[in-house]
Amino acid sequence: MIIAARRLTKEFEIKANSAFGKPLRLRAVDSVDIQVGEGQIVGVVGESGSGKSTLGRTLLGLLSPSAGTVLFDIPDDVLREYDGFRRDGDAKGAASIEMEYSIFKKKGEKLKKIRSGMNMVFQDPYSSLDPRMNVMSIITEPLLAMNYMKPDKAVDRCMELLEEVGLPRDFAYRYPHELSGGQKQRVALARGMATLPKFLVLDEPTSALDVSVQAQILSLLRKIREKYHIGMVIITHNIAVISYMADQVNVMYAGKIVESGPKEDVILNPVHPYTIALISAVPGKMVKPNRIILKGDTPNLINPPQGCVFHPRCPMAFGICGWTADEIATDLKYLVNDKFAGSFNDKAVVSTGAGGSLVINNASAGDEGVLERIINEEKGNMKSLTAIEGLERHGTNIELKIKGYRVPKMYNHDGRKVSCLLYAGDDNKA
Amino acid sequence: MNEERAKRWDNTKLSIRVFLANRTALVGLIIVLIYVADALIMQFDPGLLGITQVNTLVPNFTNPVPLPPSWAHPFGTTFPGVDLYTSILKAIRIDLFYSILVVAVGAVAGAVIGVVSATVGGLLDETVMRITDIFFSIPYLILALAIGFILGRSLMYMSLALALVWWPLYARYTRSQTLSTKEFTYVEAAKASGVSRTRIMFRHILPNALPPVFIQISLDLGSIMVIFSTLAFIGFIANAKVPELGYLTSLGLNYVQTAPWAVIFPGVAITVFALAVNLLGDGLRDVIDPRRRS
Ligand SMILES: Nc1ncnc2c1ncn2[C@@H]1O[C@H](COP(=O)(O)OP(=O)(O)O)[C@@H](O)[C@H]1O
Ligand code: SF4
Ligand SMILES: [Mg+2]
Repeated sequence: MIIAARRLTKEFEIKANSAFGKPLRLRAVDSVDIQVGEGQIVGVVGESGSGKSTLGRTLLGLLSPSAGTVLFDIPDDVLREYDGFRRDGDAKGAASIEMEYSIFKKKGEKLKKIRSGMNMVFQDPYSSLDPRMNVMSIITEPLLAMNYMKPDKAVDRCMELLEEVGLPRDFAYRYPHELSGGQKQRVALARGMATLPKFLVLDEPTSALDVSVQAQILSLLRKIREKYHIGMVIITHNIAVISYMADQVNVMYAGKIVESGPKEDVILNPVHPYTIALISAVPGKMVKPNRIILKGDTPNLINPPQGCVFHPRCPMAFGICGWTADEIATDLKYLVNDKFAGSFNDKAVVSTGAGGSLVINNASAGDEGVLERIINEEKGNMKSLTAIEGLERHGTNIELKIKGYRVPKMYNHDGRKVSCLLYAGDDNKA
Repeated sequence: MNEERAKRWDNTKLSIRVFLANRTALVGLIIVLIYVADALIMQFDPGLLGITQVNTLVPNFTNPVPLPPSWAHPFGTTFPGVDLYTSILKAIRIDLFYSILVVAVGAVAGAVIGVVSATVGGLLDETVMRITDIFFSIPYLILALAIGFILGRSLMYMSLALALVWWPLYARYTRSQTLSTKEFTYVEAAKASGVSRTRIMFRHILPNALPPVFIQISLDLGSIMVIFSTLAFIGFIANAKVPELGYLTSLGLNYVQTAPWAVIFPGVAITVFALAVNLLGDGLRDVIDPRRRS
C-alpha cells in the first residue's frame, strides 16, 4: 500500500465562548482506516463539513493527528502484520513497524524524501497559486524545495510538465491572473506531479471549475494515473466524479467512514442508509431506491450524537441506534400536546429528568393504552419512538423505559465494510 | 531565458500603463516629484534658485509687518519681514526629510515587530498587542508631545517622538496582513511541496503581505508631514529661526485678519503635499494589485 491510515483521528481545539471556559474539541476526523494501493484511485465522498479535507491533509502530514497513524509505502504483508499486532494488542510490534513506515516518525532528509513522494492538489486554484509567482516558479517549487533536481534541469522539467498537463510552453512565464480556472488547475496539477510522487491527494479538484472544464481535468487525471501509476485519493461531494474516477469508495459522515468498498458495490448497491440517501439524490440512471431527502442538519462535531452519529437523520434508524430521552421527548411532545392532544388529559406534560428518565406527568387513567397505540402507529415516521421499551405507571405519572444503545463498528457485509447496526449480525443485536 | 526577459519588460510596461491610466495618481506623482526636486536642490545647490541661507529664516526687522504678494515677494512676507516664497522652498526640504525619517523609523520598526509577532505568536504576540493597545489608548498628539518634552525640544527628537507614536500602527497592520496571508491555500500548497518554513515566509508570506503595508506607509507620509508641522505650529521647536512649514504658519498667526497670505501659503504647501501623496498612493495600489492588472 502506498498509504495506509489506521484509527486516524484529528481534533481541533476551538476557543470557548466565554473567556474562562475550557477550550472545546471538535473531532473532524474520527478513527478512520483507509488505504491506497499503488496506482489506485480511492474516492472519499461526503457532505461538506464531513471532514474530507481534514482527512486529506492529515494523510499528507500537513496536520498532525490527535491519534492514529499514517504509514507510507508499506508492503502489504507488513501492513497485515501491523494490523495483526494492533488486533492482538502487541504495542511493541506495532511501534516498531510505525518507526519504519509512519510519516510522523520521519525527520530531516528522510522526511524530505517522503515529502517528494506525495503532494496535494487543492480545490480552489484561484487561491492555491501564489499570485506573485509565475508558472515556472510555481511548478519548479517542489523540485527545488526538496532538492529533487538542479535549477537548470528544473526548467526543462517544467516544460515537460506543461506539455503533460496540456498547456503551451510559453505559459511558463505567465502569472496566475492571466490564466483561466481550468488552466490554473492544470498548473496546480503540474506542481503536484512535479516530483513524480507515488501518492497524490486531490481535494475537490474540479468543484471550482465550469462544468465544461471539469470533464477535461478529470480525464487528464485518469491519463496521468494510467501513465505514472500514481496512487490517488480524490475527495469530492460529487458522486458522479467518484463513479467516473474511483476504484474504491469511502463514504464519510461526521468524521467517520460509514461505508467503504469497491466502487461497483458501493455506488450501484449501497447498503448504509446514509450512502443510500446520498446516491438516491443523484439524478440519472443510478437511482435505484426512490429519492430520499435527509431531514435536519449535519451533526455538531463538538458534541456529536451518541450511538450512531447518523441516527437523528437516519430513515432506517431503530431502537438501539442511540436515542436520548431529549430526542424522544421532542417527538412525544408533538404527539401528546399537538397531534393527538384530544386523546390526552389537557394537563399532560412530557418531561425529562436527570439520568435520562422520560416521564409523562398528569396522565389520566387509561392513557397508557392510548399512548401505546399511538407509539405503535407513529413508529414508522418517528424513529425515536422505536427506542421506547415499555411504559410504567407511578400514580399520575407514566414512566417510559428507553432501550440501551450501541455504537456501530465496521462490519463486513456483501463485499464492503459498513458501519451500521443493521448489519451487526444477530449476535450483536440487542 | 530571452522569453523571460521579454516577459519582465512586458510586466514593467504593464505596471506603468496601469499607473498612468489613473490620471489623478499621475498628478499626485508630479506634485510629489516637484517637492522632492525642491528638497534636492536646496540640499545640493540652493544658489540655483537664488537662495543662500538654507538652514535659517532671514528676518527683516526694518519692515517686520507682513507685506502682500508683489514682484519682490511673490508669496508676500510674514512676521518679522520673512520672504515666504524662499522660506517655503527651504522649509520643504526640512519637512520632507523629517517626515521621511519618522515614517522610515516607525514603519521599519513596526513592520519588523508585526511580522515577528505574527510568526512567533503565543505570549510574545499577546504582549505586543497589549503594548500597542496602550499606545492606541492615548491621543497621539498628546503622546508625541509628552515623549518630545522628555527627550528634548529639537527637530530630531520631535521626529523620534512621532516614530515612537507611529510604530504600533504599522505593527498592527503588518501583523494582520501577515496572519491573513498565512491562511491562503498557496501557503499550504507550498508546505505540501516540501518548502521550508523560512522559505515560505520569505517567498510567499512577506511578498504578499508587505506591499499593502508599503502603500499604507507612503500614504502616511502626507499625514505625518501634517502632524509634524502641527507640532511645530503649536510651539514645539525652541529654535526660532528654523525654516519649517508649521512654524512658518504660526509666524503669521497674529496677522491672520490683515495678512491672510502669511498663513495661507505655508498652510497650502502642507495640504497640497498631503493630498498629492494620497493620490499617488491610490495609483500605487492599482499597480501592486495583480487583479487590477488583467
Ligand atoms: N483549522 C480548523 N480549525 C477548526 N476547525 C476546523 C479546521 N479545519 C476544519 N475544521 C472543522 O472540521 C470539520 C470538517 O471540515 P473539513 O475537513 O473542511 O470538511 P469537508 O472538507 O468535508 O467539507 C468542519 O466542521 C470544520 O469546521
Ligand atoms: S446504525 Fe444504521 S440504522 Fe442505526 S441510525 Fe445508524 S445508520 Fe441508521
Ligand atoms: Mg473540503
